[in-house]
Amino acid sequence: MSDLPGKDLARELIEKSRSESRATPVEDVTQAVRRDGLDGDAAHRLLGRLWTLERMFYYIYGGWGQGLEINDFPPSIKYLFSKQIIDESTHEMLYLDALLRKGFAATQKDAFRHPSGSFMLNSALAYYVFSLRNLATYPHPIRIAALNLGPKILELGWMEGLVEAIPDHDLKGVFESQFVENRSHVNMGRRIVEEFVKEPVEAELCRWACAVAKRDYNRFLGEFSAYVLGREAPAPPAPRRQVTD
Amino acid sequence: MPALRIDHERCTECRMCYIVCREIDINAVYVALEPLHRTEIDMQKCTYPGCTACLMYCPADGSIVEVQTGRSLVPPPPEVWQEATK
Repeated sequence: MSDLPGKDLARELIEKSRSESRATPVEDVTQAVRRDGLDGDAAHRLLGRLWTLERMFYYIYGGWGQGLEINDFPPSIKYLFSKQIIDESTHEMLYLDALLRKGFAATQKDAFRHPSGSFMLNSALAYYVFSLRNLATYPHPIRIAALNLGPKILELGWMEGLVEAIPDHDLKGVFESQFVENRSHVNMGRRIVEEFVKEPVEAELCRWACAVAKRDYNRFLGEFSAYVLGREAPAPPAPRRQVTD
Repeated sequence: MPALRIDHERCTECRMCYIVCREIDINAVYVALEPLHRTEIDMQKCTYPGCTACLMYCPADGSIVEVQTGRSLVPPPPEVWQEATK
């Protein structure tokens, strides 16, 4: 298997993301939890925001799935993607179950209505979601490289740190039980990049898309961490120069 | 009192039971915190035979069964209703 065309690229993307995974804005939350524990309100905000993000993956993957039908990829790629959709729905359900079990919401409808669980357009969460959804027009290996070898690795890193700090056994279990899927997604990403990213231009696109996804994910994590800690959200980035043609 | 459980030999993990149980706010079906993340039924919350929504939506015949009898019937037979209303 040493002659797989994207092997070096996959290793490069994984190592870069791993090196960044313990320096995300969630480290502030982890430190605060280690120092002061996690009260009910903060736990509600934590689970609620992550649940909202997970729900949005139905929207993102809906767009990506259409691209898979248009392009001609082998069944293995489609199978791995369908597995990833199921996994993401598992995470969404685990968060909702925890919200209900902890009594933060009486019903699913209540969880939707609460500010922690509602989706707002003017948010870093929305920016990240739309950023991922926009990758729908790129070939599947490139967007999988962007997500699975970018934000997924960051997520695994910060979540492992947070789990160590969380004192609540049940809440710890909610995050711990997601590691299996997260590691699987990283392995899926590595496999797809190794096998299907062949041309230098595709490799450059993978690097670019991965960097964009991580930048936008970190922006979401900044907003998320501020929300969990009850702080003012970081200021939005300055608008970029509009490109016209 | 009759109760339901999921037969994991038959269940396809499509999670229709989870979706419908959430939708009607009974919230008895949940995803277990285990590596396999199988769907399970919380007998304390399940209102069977008062509600049979999961049985009606389940596409894999026989994968949701009565704990006591191993039966999987929609609607539940009269004796179950009679037992429930005693």
